[in-house]
Amino acid sequence: MDNFEKNIKENKALFDVYKADKSKLWANIESRLESPEQKVRAIRLWNTPVFKIAATIIIALGLFSLINIGLNSSSEQNSFASQELSDIDMHYKGLVAYHVKLVENNTQLSSEEKKAFLLFMDELDDEYEVLKQELQKDLDSERVLEAIVINYKKRIELIENLLKQINSSKKMESDDVYML
Amino acid sequence: METNILYTHKELVEQSKLGDRNSQYKLYELYVDAMYNISMRMVRIKEDAEDIVQDSFVEAFNKLDSFKYESTFGSWLKRIIINKSINHLKKRRILATPIDDQMYRIKAEDNEDEAPVMEIKKVIKGIRLLPAGYQQIISLYLIEGYDHIEIGEILNISSSTSKSQYHRAKKKLIEIVKTL
Repeated sequence: MDNFEKNIKENKALFDVYKADKSKLWANIESRLESPEQKVRAIRLWNTPVFKIAATIIIALGLFSLINIGLNSSSEQNSFASQELSDIDMHYKGLVAYHVKLVENNTQLSSEEKKAFLLFMDELDDEYEVLKQELQKDLDSERVLEAIVINYKKRIELIENLLKQINSSKKMESDDVYML
Repeated sequence: METNILYTHKELVEQSKLGDRNSQYKLYELYVDAMYNISMRMVRIKEDAEDIVQDSFVEAFNKLDSFKYESTFGSWLKRIIINKSINHLKKRRILATPIDDQMYRIKAEDNEDEAPVMEIKKVIKGIRLLPAGYQQIISLYLIEGYDHIEIGEILNISSSTSKSQYHRAKKKLIEIVKTL
């Protein structure tokens, strides 16, 4: 840059020698400007922080709802399974209690025999409690459910066998009477 | 620091984007004289410069949403003024055109170091006496501060053409000023 150029560049402001007719120009400009009401700004909602926060909340709520629905449906399934188990439990418990009562009321069995039998039943009861806890840990386990049913059946079978034996000995005794 | 300069009059700009008439007027008032002078230096006719200034402000305010602070508001507005002035000159067929550009080379006698420091008033007067094309290139380079690449973009010529045109214009200007 030579001195000629340097001098001009340093004194640029001096080249602004014209004065605009401000009010005349503004009047013409203003008449052509869009009014604030007309001016529809293209607001990119998806770019605003508020929208981003709102979108995050909506997504979070959506996910929460989905998870909740999933949990509810699985808890419904669980409650259904629990109900089924409870029904089975009630049924077999009733049967066992009935048969135990029969054994207890049986006059032909000695108290020791009854005690030994009921002790064996208690062992099966303990096994049943363990199975019940296993089932609570894993409700989908069909094997545990099967084991519970088998446990009940075993107890009923044992009682039935015992009662059969009592009855058969009773019959033998009466047969013997006839024989006699 | 540079970032702060880019955000000069940010509040006024943002309010103007919303269509606030007072803010638009304040911006207009701040820049109108500078813009009018730029246009006058380019087109030299008062009425044409006024039309260009009006059109430029209307366009600037109506398209202010596209202003993203990549430059100062003043530079952005100035570019609109320059482009409109160039388009105006193109319509009038008085735009600077490269003459025997391929043949032109700066000769040894164009010793830039010897370019004299001249009285600014005489330089201003000398510029007015230059042919239209020379006036534009002198204004764009020395007063508006564009480099030859930018001038190439504005005038749609190569930067080397801009350079050669400028040197011829400067030589002519110095000759004129010497006679004043």
